[in-house]
Amino acid sequence: MENSSSQVPVTVLTGFLGAGKTTLLNRILTEQHGRRYAVIVNEFGEQGIDNDLVVDADEEVFEMNNGCICCTVRGDLIRILGGLMKRADQLDAIIVETTGLADPAPVAQTFFVDQDVADRTKLDAIVTVADAVHLSSQLGEHHEAEEQIAFADVVLLNKIDLVDQSQITGVKDRIRKINPYTKIIETNRCAAPLDEVLGLNAFSLDRVLEVEPDFLDSDHDHEHDDDVTSVSFVSDTPLDLEKFEKWFGNLLQTHGQNILRSKGILDFKNEKDRYVFQGVHMLMDASPMGPWPEKSIRNSRVVFIGRKLETMNLKEGFESCKSD
Amino acid sequence: MNNESVIKSRFEENGKVFETGAPVTGAVSIENAVAVGFGDGSIRFFWPDNDPLEVRAHSGAILSIASSNDGVITGGQDGRFLKISTNAEVEEIYNFGTRWVDNVAAYESMVLCSSGKNVYIWSDENDKPKILEHQSTIGGIAIDQNGRRIAVSCYGGVTLWRLEKNKWKSSKFAWKGSHGKVGFSPDGKYLVTTMQENELHAWRIRDKASFAMSGYPSKVKSFTWAGDNPYLVTAGAKEAICWPFDGKEGPKGRKPLCIASGGQQNATFVESLPGEKAVFAGFRNGMVLLSELSEHPNDVLIQNPTGSEVSNISISPDRSHILVGDSKGQILWSPLWEQ
Repeated sequence: MENSSSQVPVTVLTGFLGAGKTTLLNRILTEQHGRRYAVIVNEFGEQGIDNDLVVDADEEVFEMNNGCICCTVRGDLIRILGGLMKRADQLDAIIVETTGLADPAPVAQTFFVDQDVADRTKLDAIVTVADAVHLSSQLGEHHEAEEQIAFADVVLLNKIDLVDQSQITGVKDRIRKINPYTKIIETNRCAAPLDEVLGLNAFSLDRVLEVEPDFLDSDHDHEHDDDVTSVSFVSDTPLDLEKFEKWFGNLLQTHGQNILRSKGILDFKNEKDRYVFQGVHMLMDASPMGPWPEKSIRNSRVVFIGRKLETMNLKEGFESCKSD
Repeated sequence: MNNESVIKSRFEENGKVFETGAPVTGAVSIENAVAVGFGDGSIRFFWPDNDPLEVRAHSGAILSIASSNDGVITGGQDGRFLKISTNAEVEEIYNFGTRWVDNVAAYESMVLCSSGKNVYIWSDENDKPKILEHQSTIGGIAIDQNGRRIAVSCYGGVTLWRLEKNKWKSSKFAWKGSHGKVGFSPDGKYLVTTMQENELHAWRIRDKASFAMSGYPSKVKSFTWAGDNPYLVTAGAKEAICWPFDGKEGPKGRKPLCIASGGQQNATFVESLPGEKAVFAGFRNGMVLLSELSEHPNDVLIQNPTGSEVSNISISPDRSHILVGDSKGQILWSPLWEQ
């Protein structure tokens, strides 16, 4: 019944304490004149948000009773988004600011799992503000920092005036190694063009088709087993739908906890449409997205971002889905 | 929707329709009126014989409404807990600032509300609220028929508070998952909650025996009790699903009655017709049916589809009128019986 125009876009701001989330938030709220935002903040958040509709939230993460152990959602978001949809005034957008140590997965999964949330709102993008000075050491020390990069549709690499060019290159390489899909914007005081931060529709399947990742060599070394990395595969041979469904379903069942995000465009044998999917842990959104454009190359591309990817036999699994 | 082909129901012919522009978030009976809370923070009182009275109360949506001794009490997104009399006097009971007041309830002169993880109780004797703390944000609160027990649902189950020698003592009814609305059965023997998953959970209070009522295609947003058995009537499916709570074991191992089957979409609100074995069911497309609590029920059309989800159905205290409210703010206020 609902169409996308009646869904209020939700932007999620993540980033470690002191990276500049509140600076970005206040820029959005002051520069987007005439637009009405609701801002959901956590009780430990930085003060001084310049908006008349600020909602305090506890970051309540809970498990769903659906037999899927990694399927956690933000209970407070379900309640607050539901409450905001009861208002008479129309909101242009909702911004959720998370605490510095938050894992973005439960926020993203909330939009997959709760029907009311999915009917009335849509996850627009996860925007991560990163401190160019400290990100490298944070990535080594905190799982959450890696997760925030892994889930980011946009990384604002902030405070670049405090580092030199070689440091910028180093930290950008580090970010790309975790997440080749993310868009990196270098900023001081979060001065990014706001149309590159808001209204991105990054979680729509259409968007998967538009964003080409910087494909990297997947056989890179890494320091710890727990590092978040990414791998990608391309096949020019059409895939077999049944084989793929079996392999992919089983993969998410067994390794969903370690697969943070997955995306792909698939060419199945005897199917005229492109198939597009994107997933967060075990949850997945997939759909045929119309016929292949005439001049485009018809092939299958998949990307995985996660931990211990080398233990999942991803390459062999993907190869085995090729049609005979 | 092609309105020309729609045949109006008797209720639509005889009743009045109000377009308020603000979502209906709740309603309750008070004195001889139905008081309705809206998403723009206003309250409107509907009387059988007078024009409705509008009171500007909260800024932001009203999240919860209940009737007390001397007015309706409301909790809002502006953090205020208010009492509003039927002659439009507004009294602030408490202001929680930026925290929402999610749930309210009353029994005689006792009023309570929840904000975040706490329940706040005001009784006659003193002005300072008694605070009951919980482990997570509260989904729902309910008071039993005698005002001696308060049920509070949150993540992980229900906490049942009992007033013993002027002290509130708690006992826990655990079930994994996030619990929303909570209610007592009319005889006070069972607790029922709606869950984040598409199901309800129930406990027999005596021995904490618990069971799930599942199989719904969508979240259960509304339940009520009807008939002498009684039946627990629930929304969430294309029909009103009615679980029998008679006998020692209640609905355990028994099939529910499925009534009000004319809707093409899932039910979003259910209400009983007091004194009759009959149930109103409102659907996601705005349709409302009246149906009998029986194996082969007759359905009566109350309201044709409006295109917006039915968010409340209330019967006036004298049973003369029905009020139907939807998520876009349309109100149907109609005589219930042939004149």
